[in-house]
Amino acid sequence: MKYAQLIRLLVARDLTIRYKRSVIGIGWTLLNPMLTSIVMWFVFSFVFASRLPSGQQFAPYLMAGILLNTFFNQGLMLSAESIASNGGVLTKIYVPPQIFAISSALAGLVNFFIGMIPLAVVCFLSGQSLAWSLPLVLIVGVCLAFLVAGLGLALSIVFIRFDDTRNIVNVLLMILMYLTPIFYPISVMNPTMQHIIRLNPLTSYLEVFRWAFSNNAFPTWHNWAYMFITAACSFILGASVFKKFWPRTVAML
Amino acid sequence: MAVVEINNVNLTYRVLMNRRGSIRDLFKEAVAGRARIVNYVALQDVSFTVDAGEVVAILGRNGAGKSTLLKILAGVLPPTKGTAKVNGSIAPMIELGAGFHPEMTGAENVVFYSALMMRDIKKVKARVAEIGEWAGVGDHMNFPLRTFSSGMVARLAFSTATDVQPEVLLIDEVLAVGDADFKEKSGARMTQLITSGAAVVLVSHDMAAVRRLANRAIWLENGHVRMSGEANEVVDAYEAG
Repeated sequence: MKYAQLIRLLVARDLTIRYKRSVIGIGWTLLNPMLTSIVMWFVFSFVFASRLPSGQQFAPYLMAGILLNTFFNQGLMLSAESIASNGGVLTKIYVPPQIFAISSALAGLVNFFIGMIPLAVVCFLSGQSLAWSLPLVLIVGVCLAFLVAGLGLALSIVFIRFDDTRNIVNVLLMILMYLTPIFYPISVMNPTMQHIIRLNPLTSYLEVFRWAFSNNAFPTWHNWAYMFITAACSFILGASVFKKFWPRTVAML
Repeated sequence: MAVVEINNVNLTYRVLMNRRGSIRDLFKEAVAGRARIVNYVALQDVSFTVDAGEVVAILGRNGAGKSTLLKILAGVLPPTKGTAKVNGSIAPMIELGAGFHPEMTGAENVVFYSALMMRDIKKVKARVAEIGEWAGVGDHMNFPLRTFSSGMVARLAFSTATDVQPEVLLIDEVLAVGDADFKEKSGARMTQLITSGAAVVLVSHDMAAVRRLANRAIWLENGHVRMSGEANEVVDAYEAG
């Protein structure tokens, strides 16, 4: 594909630029989820650790959640922002603008995979071992990248047209985070809340991810189906919304 | 076959109140029943062709639609009506250095900028040193771009953009850059690119350059073609008023 080299460069730039001036550079990608997890572990392990079903471990449970949520949140915001922030290029040189949003999602995916290294360490420390289903995390990652890219494409149009939607989206992302069982087991919620939490697609991604990585959750086939459907719908809808509105939006850059 | 073919191109910007809206404003206006969309016509019924080896200059005052026309040719802005066809590799010389990043090194920026212009980066990588040398920043190529002076950045951008002979050359006021010495060098390279067989569309306020370089000229006024024809004649008429 003729855009492959550009996408590679964009992903590499996204990954390195943020840490260009720091001493350990890309090492922060490893350190960030670890530090967040340690803080949250101190806060929540007293409350929730004992309430996980037997066979599940709290530390890898928590860290898997943080890793996946970071991918979704950061990936989505970067992806949605990427088109506006590359407006200078897009109004001068013809490049399919979708490339920028997709590259941001892919950079999030790479970060996600790098973050699994410390997650594996945490798994071993808490007495778990990696599951045979480990290669399936690839599927989870790719599905999540599709979800992020689709939402990012649609949001990028909205962001260019309406400045103030960024703040609204930030609030929505926070609500979504609390509706994802990152640091609590779903079973601690009342039945109505459990139902709402299961409607959140990220819950399905997370259940499958925890299971695939170290058998630290018990997803049903509903979770798998929901993951595939939301990924496909998001990407197809996002791409077509983008295609429809881009010609008028580019004039606003 | 013409390399550039523009047929009855119209471009209308839809301006929603101010340039950028907020949802609150939109809501208020909608409730009051006056979500005002102003249509601003930037180009109306513009048609022309450019053959290989031809240099067409676009003249006109500020706001006449010259830059909009170049953006349509570059494929960046889709026309509201009409068609714009360009057959061949395009080098858009429009505000050079788009996509340069201050935290990346000179060499990395050259590669990235070239990739944006769809060049094969394997070939570019082999030429990075030469591109830097030509720009006179050869010994700086491994430092971040933020350590470059603005003149050095402009020279590097020019050197990268003009490194490959394109089939279609779109030029917006960049006939030369830099200090006196470099102006001469870059002017010469530009003239060489323009005269070596590409289809060229040139926007410039420098009438002497237009007379020297262009075969034909198109005079735009408020988005219309006011006059089109042999370069010297159009420039004469344009200068007369």
